[in-house]
Amino acid sequence: MSRVALAPPVARQGPGALPNEVIDALDLGVARRAMRALPGAHAMPRAGAGTELAQLRVYQPGDDVRHLDPAATARTGVPHVRLHVPERALTTWVLVDVSPSMAFGTAERLKADVAEGAALVIGRLAVRRGGGLAAATFGAGPAHVLRPRSSRAALAGLSRLVGEGVAPDGHSEPDALARCLLRVASVARLPGLVAIISDFRDQQAWLRPLGVLRARHSVLAIEVGDPRERELPAVGRLALIDPETGQRVEVDTSRASVRERFAALERERGAELARELRRLRVDHVELSTGGDWLLELGKRLR
Amino acid sequence: MRFPAVATVKLVVGTLPSWRRHIPTALLIAALAVLALALSGPRTTVSTPIGSASIVLVTDHSGSMEATDVLPSRLDAAQRAAHTFVAQLPSAARVGVVGFSTQPDTVQAPVTDRAPVLSAIDSQSASGGTDTGDALALAMDLLRQGAAHGPSAIVLLSDGAANLGRDPIAVAGTAGQQRIPIYTVALGSQDTTIPDPTGFGAPIPVPPDPALLQRIADASHARAFTAQDQGRLNGIYKQLGGQLGSVRHTHEVTASFALAALALLIGAAVAALRWSSGRIP
Repeated sequence: MSRVALAPPVARQGPGALPNEVIDALDLGVARRAMRALPGAHAMPRAGAGTELAQLRVYQPGDDVRHLDPAATARTGVPHVRLHVPERALTTWVLVDVSPSMAFGTAERLKADVAEGAALVIGRLAVRRGGGLAAATFGAGPAHVLRPRSSRAALAGLSRLVGEGVAPDGHSEPDALARCLLRVASVARLPGLVAIISDFRDQQAWLRPLGVLRARHSVLAIEVGDPRERELPAVGRLALIDPETGQRVEVDTSRASVRERFAALERERGAELARELRRLRVDHVELSTGGDWLLELGKRLR
Repeated sequence: MRFPAVATVKLVVGTLPSWRRHIPTALLIAALAVLALALSGPRTTVSTPIGSASIVLVTDHSGSMEATDVLPSRLDAAQRAAHTFVAQLPSAARVGVVGFSTQPDTVQAPVTDRAPVLSAIDSQSASGGTDTGDALALAMDLLRQGAAHGPSAIVLLSDGAANLGRDPIAVAGTAGQQRIPIYTVALGSQDTTIPDPTGFGAPIPVPPDPALLQRIADASHARAFTAQDQGRLNGIYKQLGGQLGSVRHTHEVTASFALAALALLIGAAVAALRWSSGRIP
């Protein structure tokens, strides 16, 4: 399959402001989720001491003497050691959907803009504490993969990747997400956090590869949607074209039965998606193009 | 308009079959076709009954009519067929009867009341010879008496050669000149016999004579029929009854074609607004 030429969508608004304070507030939430990926507490290469206190206990022979806590020892007369939550340097993978359906938005910004913003936020949080950041885009030909790198180089690569834009209309790839997940599962050896930012539409057979990925990593699914995709407005007759498949359908939205049935089907689809993700114990965040996506992301990740 | 959730919309809309979109175009084309037909000035032929027609049934009840080659007997079949004929005629047409054997004996002038006509038909019985010519002349006299009233016709039913009286061909020629058609029906099959009326002797052959009846019909510019069973006889009389009492004329039906085209156009407009996207193709 040949690479498709990406282009920033015409109505691109950009992700909006990303104030540092808000991102800091998200830090712990994301870090905690990432930690869940790690089985047990066995030491790993590149493990370092963190700052969060795990416990304060009596000194046992074999403990590191640098961890002796002077205050507790003086208080009780028995040597105590202070043990911290070990922080591993994790690699975070960010998978971004660049299929044509992402270049759609009827509220403040496009879905692609929200996806870009979420990717940048996750990226910035990932490179703190020495973690590695890798990224991949799917939905536009073969997945463009950025190998894990750390700090500024990784961030620069990520922002260039998501700034490339989305695939042009007419490009339909129902197995893009599945293939990308399998690729990441084969490349990412060490456990880490995988964030999937997509609208989860027009994709098939991705639950199984997601299960494979979930077995080793901690997965965060960020679903980006638009209010109009959930409900049709009453604007009379419409001729609608799917950006990916080019299918055309005419619908009379002035009929309440049509609008209600559409809303019901969309609710059902969303509920099934949530159910499947919950079954795989994947964290599910729903962002909308209307309203403040950063606020919503913060609320859900706290 | 670009919309990513088209798959869901298709599920919602899916029940509307796609052939409905083509209905407005189909109706428009049909309307144009009907309009084109209307422009060609269509005409139709309609039969309207003539109230003032007069018809005389001339029925043979000679001895040979008791033969049973036409079940139940030739005479019975003829009587039933005559009933059918009378029933087919429009109620304002006048029917008369002349029953003959050795001479014309049962006479009923053409009237509109069917009861005397039917009883005259039923009262005949089979005996005697066949005097066709005199019967035809009598029938023509009856018609001439009421001649001022519209077209006339004679229906002759016979089964054998004329062996008495005037020459029927000459009488038929006169009828032709007076524009009175004599439709003839030859009843019976060729190899029929009846038993000898005296009881002794060989059976007497009683074949019909279709050639004579054909000549009678030709002389008076009418048609000749042959019948060998009740069904065919009934059919002939039915046909004659329908034909003689009415006249066919053509008239133009352009107006109804134009109305049909208009109705189709309105239907196309309504269908376009409802089912298509509001565009009339």
